[in-house]
Amino acid sequence: MAARILPVVKLATKLTIAGGALYVACDSGLLGSSEQGSEALGKAKAAIPPAIEEWMKYFGLEAQLPTIPKVEFSPVQAWNSGVRQSISTLSEAPSKATAYTNHGVQYVKDLTK
Amino acid sequence: MSEKELGKKLDRCLADGAIKLGTGLGLGIVISVLFFKRHTWPILFGTGTGLGMAYSNCQNDLRSFYMLHRSEKEQ
Repeated sequence: MAARILPVVKLATKLTIAGGALYVACDSGLLGSSEQGSEALGKAKAAIPPAIEEWMKYFGLEAQLPTIPKVEFSPVQAWNSGVRQSISTLSEAPSKATAYTNHGVQYVKDLTK
Repeated sequence: MSEKELGKKLDRCLADGAIKLGTGLGLGIVISVLFFKRHTWPILFGTGTGLGMAYSNCQNDLRSFYMLHRSEKEQ
């Protein structure tokens, strides 16, 4: 009799676990609208450092993890300044090329004098 | 739609996409391990579903500015 019930019990357990996972996902707003999703991401980001600290303390590895250096780098600023630089270089290129060519021609002329 | 608003909406889209990708991946892994003997396709299916939900949310969010909402229509 136990041999007949066991597969049913296994299936029921699996369904419970899968259903529970799905319920937790829906309930915490992970599968909802954009606002709920970004809220959940913010909460997760805020909860990670304390969680890591707790785990480190638990394992006694407190002093070993080096602090992540605060990089003052903003990709948006870097990109924007890159775009500005390239466009200004492109716009100045013809006049600069003319100037350099004239300089070169003058230099050659001076050499042949 | 002002540029600031558009920027905020795109930020929300990206955050939502990341969340739904992770959730889809996680649920796909759970279902793959429990019911499908650790095959790969449920994981891919879950990831794809998550991405699709995020895309649909983003699409609605960006279109909502130009739609006439029911609450405004009734007024």
